[in-house]
Amino acid sequence: MNGRFSWLRSWEGLLLVILVAVVGMNIVQSPFYLGIGNQINLFQLSIEKIIVALMMTLIIINAEIDLSVASVMGMAACTLARLHEMGAPLPIGIAAGLVAGVLAGAFNGFWVAYVGLPSLAVTLAGLIGYRGVARILLEDRSIGNFPAWFNHLGQQPLLGPLPLALIIFFLLLAVAIVVLQSSAFGRYVYVIGNSLDVARYSGVKVKRVKMLLFIVSGTVAALAGLLLAARLGAVRGNTADGFELDIITMVLLGGVSIFGGRGSLTGVLLSILIILNLRNGLSLINVTSNTQTGVIGVLLILSVLLPNLAAHLRDRWQRSAVRPFSSL
Amino acid sequence: MSKVRSTLLFALIAALLITACAAPAPPAAAPAAQPAAAEATAAPAAESGGVDMVLMPKFLGILVFDQAHQGALEAHKEVGNTGKLEFLGPTPENSVAGQIEILTTATTQGVDAIMISNNAGDQLAPAAKAARDAGMTVVTWDSPIPSAEGEQVFVAQVDFDETGKVMADMALSILGADGGQLAILSASPDAANQNAWNAAFQDVLANDPKYANLEMVDLVYGNDQSEDSYNQALALVDKYPDLKLIMAPTTVGIAAAAKAMQDEGLCDKVKVSGLGLPAEMVSYTLNGCAPEFALWSFVDLGYLTYHVAYQLATGQIEAKAGQTFEAGLMGSYTITKDPTRDAGLRVLMGPFTVYNKDNVEAAAK
Repeated sequence: MNGRFSWLRSWEGLLLVILVAVVGMNIVQSPFYLGIGNQINLFQLSIEKIIVALMMTLIIINAEIDLSVASVMGMAACTLARLHEMGAPLPIGIAAGLVAGVLAGAFNGFWVAYVGLPSLAVTLAGLIGYRGVARILLEDRSIGNFPAWFNHLGQQPLLGPLPLALIIFFLLLAVAIVVLQSSAFGRYVYVIGNSLDVARYSGVKVKRVKMLLFIVSGTVAALAGLLLAARLGAVRGNTADGFELDIITMVLLGGVSIFGGRGSLTGVLLSILIILNLRNGLSLINVTSNTQTGVIGVLLILSVLLPNLAAHLRDRWQRSAVRPFSSL
Repeated sequence: MSKVRSTLLFALIAALLITACAAPAPPAAAPAAQPAAAEATAAPAAESGGVDMVLMPKFLGILVFDQAHQGALEAHKEVGNTGKLEFLGPTPENSVAGQIEILTTATTQGVDAIMISNNAGDQLAPAAKAARDAGMTVVTWDSPIPSAEGEQVFVAQVDFDETGKVMADMALSILGADGGQLAILSASPDAANQNAWNAAFQDVLANDPKYANLEMVDLVYGNDQSEDSYNQALALVDKYPDLKLIMAPTTVGIAAAAKAMQDEGLCDKVKVSGLGLPAEMVSYTLNGCAPEFALWSFVDLGYLTYHVAYQLATGQIEAKAGQTFEAGLMGSYTITKDPTRDAGLRVLMGPFTVYNKDNVEAAAK
């Protein structure tokens, strides 16, 4: 049980095995898979979602959820587009889009952290409300014709083969890893997620941590929305509609407990790589979108079932053993 | 222990990524790296034996798109293309992102030609331009790229301005000279064809005195989902007590609206018209819920689109105004400037067939 490779039996280990299998299958199935263009595209096509998934990981470990992220993405993009339509310089639009994200996050955070409402309800309202703002801003119009430099940032490589959004993703990933695994703030996130009472009695500033998490979540979502606008070169009221489910899927498949307190960015990164590579591989061998959605759905069901099932079985087999932590 | 574990994992992932990125790219797989190859690659497709083509609908699960696929398959057999013809579309709830993904993947695969019924508006343009840069033939059908960027030719089913007039004529014929209130139930605000038809329809109503008694009160979107469209139709009836006609220029919308009126027993009061499939509309036409509707053949549209894309990809024709070509059994066509957009080229198929109780049964078989 405690051999050198015992970590392979962990959730991350299982994900790594799945990832290797998917990558191996892709290499065998399609000669185009390993091309550098395809490897970049594989990230690029979902880049905004995986950027938001990083912050969602912290939120869910904190035993909260933010359902409003996709709507915030849409609202930020629509703010930018509306200002551009009115003739404002683009940097002002970008700043306004980001501010909209900060405000949306702060609004969510206020009700959750200081009033104590459940984040499920608050951010569900946000999902509807911020999308409403996005639709009011642009109604049924499609706004494009952004300056060339903006489209260029979204569509062309910036550093070597890497586009801006991918660089931002790697930077945010590094920051998130350091914060979550090596800082006091990261420990607070876990402690609060594990037990609110323990956190309170230990003197953790729970309200401040939660507030900050939601503000950063809103800001990162707004940034992702702006990146999406640049990549697509046009914005509509329904931009990023429905993305929240894909984002939450990535986090849950990564082994982050929906009840909070457990999970790692390693797992989420592996889960992101699995989903992206799986979709890409299935697309490259021309499997229809309906089947792709089905495959990913099955994967998610298994990701929820398997750990619980394993825990249940362990429980039955080792009833006599005394364990320090109950895994629910 | 857990730190060692994490470090190990990260090293493995990093190694995976680096191997993946550093592996030599197969020649066709790096489109972004060779923008200069755009023009040179159009002709050789035919020499290598076959032209690989993708037909992309707005999304899967819509009968008319399957019919277009059938037409394209007929043309595929007829020209003896040894390449592959794939029918790939996104799911309805993921239409915009899905279309971009399929187009990008096709570019990576080195597909020779793609035929797109665009549901993503100008959001598809960057991916289409990248496909063009990689030497792919990009043809749109049913619904174009509004800015025409990245698109070589649009194969239009009917003249978009004429669509407005046909809808106005059906409305007049159903409501009679006294006219009344009507509302449009459209598909999605992203569909360039729908937007153009609705605009043309409103234009005709506003400017032609013949239709002075037809009053358009609202424009709503059912997103080509049956349930959405059904609910939107009922909401219209609630909102406008004097509403006499729902005009739905979408096969999903018109069938859902007709069913809604039938289910609620409203067919005597509110009629339904628009663009519909005889097979789906026959019962509503016979029971008077949707006395008249119009459509063109989607099989023909798929067939014609295939010919345009194939001949462009093999270099038999060029995408320029004035170019004429033979589209197999359908005869001769000419590429012209698209008068309904600021930029872009068009092949016009036409014409409409208007269906009523006299001819709908025959067409539904």
